[in-house]
Amino acid sequence: MSTSFVLVDRPEVRRLSRSRADALWDLIQVLSGLGLALFLAFHTLLTASVLLGARVLDAVAGGLEAIHLDTLAHWSVPVLFLVHFVAAARKVPFRWREQQALWAQARTLRHADTWAWVFQAVSGMAVLLLGVIHMWTTIGAGAIQAASSAARVQSDGWVILYLLLAPLGQGHAVVGVYRAGVKWGVFQDVHRAQVVRVGLFVLGGGVLLSLAALVRYATL
Amino acid sequence: MSRTLTFHIFRYNPQDPASQPHLQDFSLEETANMTLFIALNRLREEQDPGLMFDFCCRAGICGSCGMVVNGRPRLACQTKTKDLPHEITLLPLPVFKLIGDLCVDTGSWFREMYTRTESWIHTNTPFDPTKEEARMDNAVAEAIYEMERCIECGCCIAACSTARMRPDFLGAAGLARIARFALDPRDERTDRDYFELIGNDFGVFGCMGLLACEDVCPKNLPLQNQLGFLRRKMGITAIKQLFRKD
Ligand code: HEM
Ligand code: SF4
Ligand code: SF4
Ligand code: FES
Repeated sequence: MSTSFVLVDRPEVRRLSRSRADALWDLIQVLSGLGLALFLAFHTLLTASVLLGARVLDAVAGGLEAIHLDTLAHWSVPVLFLVHFVAAARKVPFRWREQQALWAQARTLRHADTWAWVFQAVSGMAVLLLGVIHMWTTIGAGAIQAASSAARVQSDGWVILYLLLAPLGQGHAVVGVYRAGVKWGVFQDVHRAQVVRVGLFVLGGGVLLSLAALVRYATL
Repeated sequence: MSRTLTFHIFRYNPQDPASQPHLQDFSLEETANMTLFIALNRLREEQDPGLMFDFCCRAGICGSCGMVVNGRPRLACQTKTKDLPHEITLLPLPVFKLIGDLCVDTGSWFREMYTRTESWIHTNTPFDPTKEEARMDNAVAEAIYEMERCIECGCCIAACSTARMRPDFLGAAGLARIARFALDPRDERTDRDYFELIGNDFGVFGCMGLLACEDVCPKNLPLQNQLGFLRRKMGITAIKQLFRKD
């Protein structure tokens, strides 16, 4: 029956967790996720500055390039992205049996946080694919300018990529920050409802902002 | 006022080779202040004496009547039918071994969990029966008591997606057990000792923070806060050990 009876009788194997690997992966996952979320917040504001005019965006981007923040982002974000994916993939139910259990659970439980996690796993995989394409086409494509970005958004069909990536990425980031907060006990039970409200507000604002910016790029 | 309730109840007897898992429908007139405890007993008395389900205290104390009520794990004795729609689906708790119909064996699971978490006070202080008991700060005693209120109903385990995907995940009740001893000044275990019990994906790092446990626990244990407390404690322990060689 139980392995633990055996383990208790054998002091030499009783201790289960000599390894720190799971703990370190968990730390890597949360830190890389928070790093990406921070980046995404800046990225959303930068791209939305086009709403104030193409010249504002060019000036902001020029300022960031002058202090080499673009170079920093161009190598750190792909690294964080990869590291975060590897860390988070340890929790994604790739096995069919696990997926069956998760779907059955989410469907019967009708529990918002459980669905939020399903969204987290699905949006993570989507962001992985779309984000890699996005980074591939932008990093190394030269200075950030409203004109070149607008040209990218306007070339055939590409707007679909952005229409998917922006809400999914932001949704994943906001749910992720919420989850990181509850998992590590930064958000306590008494604040949970409030945190959810603020999160939805930030998400709504972020999605509106990036959709408005997309419209601007598409018509620039 | 009186409604006719329709119950869809999971029926299966693993002991009987002819038995097939299925949902069986029952109708029952609702009465005032009816709980699922009352409803199930009436169904057994009036309609099917073979219906299997567990009850003992009928007051939310013994933890034996956990079942999945319209999708959510709950205590049947604490669930009033007036708070439910007229169609009620009752399933046994998942994760635990099925005994038959709505009965599951939570006992073996909890026994195993207590062994895994070494759920007793570890101390080298010799016991002196002539001495007065050592005093404990009231706030600490209350925090410990908060965790001791767990009635081992298994609802938090059945609601947990992680527990359903990984059978050896300790679950909220198990982690809460560790939190209880970590709060107790009489237990001489160090953070490193606890780390060896729960510092992995079967323990606190397997928890994905879905908070279903928090949301279904019928005794409202502060599971979210305690899981967060343990994760921080164990995360810090892991970092400290990185810088120490042994
Ligand atoms: C825009 C890029 C991304 C951002 C801003 C981001 C942000 C975050 C944050 C803050 C968390 C919470 C950390 C935690 O729960 O410990 C998280 C979790 C997660 N991320 Fe990402 N992430 C991004 C990309 C990805 C990608 C490409 C994947 C691919 C699989 C992914 C999969 C996941 C999964 C499955 C979780 C949940 C893990 C769990 O609950 O244990 N993420 N993400
Ligand atoms: S927070 Fe979620 S994953 Fe963690 S123990 Fe509770 S239900 Fe399971
Ligand atoms: S923690 Fe709550 S839900 Fe879990 S077994 Fe104890 S009383 Fe039941
Ligand atoms: S019968 Fe004891 S908790 Fe329901």
